[in-house]
Amino acid sequence: MRRASAIDRAMQGMAIATLAFLWLPLFVVVAFSFEPEAAAVHLTGFTFDWYERVWQQGGMLHALFRSLELGLLSAAAGTVLGALLAVGLHRYRGRGFAILALIVYLPIVMPDVIYGISQMVFFNYMHRFIGWPSAGLVTMGIAHVSFQIPYVALVVYARLVGLDRNLVHAAADLYASPLKSLYAFWLPVLKPALIAGFLLAFTLSLDDFVISFFTSGPGSVTLPIYIWGSIARHGVTPQTNAIASLMIGAVLLVALAQTFFQARRHGYLSSHGQPSA
Amino acid sequence: MKAVLRRGFHFALTVGPGVAWITLFLFLPSLLMALLAFMTNDPYGQPALPLTVHAFTQVAGYSFLGWSPGNLEVVWRSLLQAAYTTVATALLAYPLAFFIARAPVRYRPVLLLLVIVPSWTNQVVRTYAWMQILAPDTWLSHVAVALGFLPQHMGLYPSSFAVSMGLVYNYLPYMVLPIYASVEKLDWRLVDAVRDLYASGWRVFRHGVFPQTVPGLLAGIILVAIPAFGAYIVPQLLGGDRAMLLGNLIAQQFSSMPDWPFGAALTLVMLLFTFGGLVVFRRMARRLNAGEANLL
Repeated sequence: MRRASAIDRAMQGMAIATLAFLWLPLFVVVAFSFEPEAAAVHLTGFTFDWYERVWQQGGMLHALFRSLELGLLSAAAGTVLGALLAVGLHRYRGRGFAILALIVYLPIVMPDVIYGISQMVFFNYMHRFIGWPSAGLVTMGIAHVSFQIPYVALVVYARLVGLDRNLVHAAADLYASPLKSLYAFWLPVLKPALIAGFLLAFTLSLDDFVISFFTSGPGSVTLPIYIWGSIARHGVTPQTNAIASLMIGAVLLVALAQTFFQARRHGYLSSHGQPSA
Repeated sequence: MKAVLRRGFHFALTVGPGVAWITLFLFLPSLLMALLAFMTNDPYGQPALPLTVHAFTQVAGYSFLGWSPGNLEVVWRSLLQAAYTTVATALLAYPLAFFIARAPVRYRPVLLLLVIVPSWTNQVVRTYAWMQILAPDTWLSHVAVALGFLPQHMGLYPSSFAVSMGLVYNYLPYMVLPIYASVEKLDWRLVDAVRDLYASGWRVFRHGVFPQTVPGLLAGIILVAIPAFGAYIVPQLLGGDRAMLLGNLIAQQFSSMPDWPFGAALTLVMLLFTFGGLVVFRRMARRLNAGEANLL
């Protein structure tokens, strides 16, 4: 029995070390954003200067707005298309299931380098033959919508499967016009799934770098692309650390808010890992 | 007749736009890549007719300079890195998953959050942080120097080791979460039964615990191995020329030295391994009776 508890303690130690491993890089980034010396490898002091510079340079704010613009617009389109797809496939379940599996699987399992590059090449040819679209927010938006559709469809489909079939039949039987049944029945019933799908699509868009990078053009620098570019030009600088720290802070706030609300609602946290790059 | 028309209309209206979008902007580009792989590169870096298998001989290593193993080495290295990453994340994930699952219920959400939050931070940030940790003259490099792994004043990056480190770091949460999901549902009565049969330590895990976590492990393997094999950001930031992976080699053919047919051929190779791996994997999962490995 003593041996077993020694193993238990070793496993606990490993688990805690693994958690520390997950957080170490974030701590390093935040700590060095306050380091006064630009090229320091050890902490020597404390300053807010780098945050001030980030603010003054303005490029980052511009990139942040691009990220938000792209995220909101693509998530709106992705939610509409994904939700429609889910509704259709749910109603014609027998026929649609193979297509759903294929559509849902392809973007999830395709490595994102291939995803981004094949779209870049495709848009390039399209532009050459029909003069549209030029690389920029439009091409990035199209690319983002195409990876958001399957995820939104999954979320909405899950809600539809959990729905009482009799309710659906009742809605269809009462001779409501399609438009009327849409706003009187479908929208209220699907609202939670639509909101969840939209938020997931928005997060996926904000989080993506690789696909955005290959489909971007002049004037469509999003926040991750901005950071990537500044590392490529100047290496890692305290300013990059300051921008990254702001992002980490924002993520933490969102995470804490979410736990707080969910703890109040069900008393536990639902874990949704998102498979992405 | 009218009902049939309406059904068709409804079907087209709901399923149509999404399917059309994905067909036009995802299937068609993939088909275009498949076509490009069989074209030749003209002197301006543009794909041209006639259709050949030239790009594929290039992948195999033949060029006007004769044969060199360079490209095949990159493919092999990518497969190895994906394998290392999968094994290492699984080894780290098990203790952590058990640790969280056996913690008091009210601490579990916080512990899960500690695993999830780092993965919500953008991958570019998560990866460049390691450039700072593995740089020359940091404490980690000092330890490596002291242990004789590194010459004086060298950093641990860029290197294959740094790439492995970055990959394991980035994909660890995608292994922890599905394994945790299985561990949480674990039937401890089975484990006790194994114990009652006087199995001890390793054998309890081997026969009582492990089989019950296989579905989670399989889901984790898919979520880690595929993106690790197709990685771009991590090897680009943490690897040098000698640690280049397939994703970087592909990207190179479409940017700095354009050779689209060669790049497209490499893309097909990557897809072949990805889908081939998935098919083999699904067969294995079925044989282990783990069904679809709760991936979707």
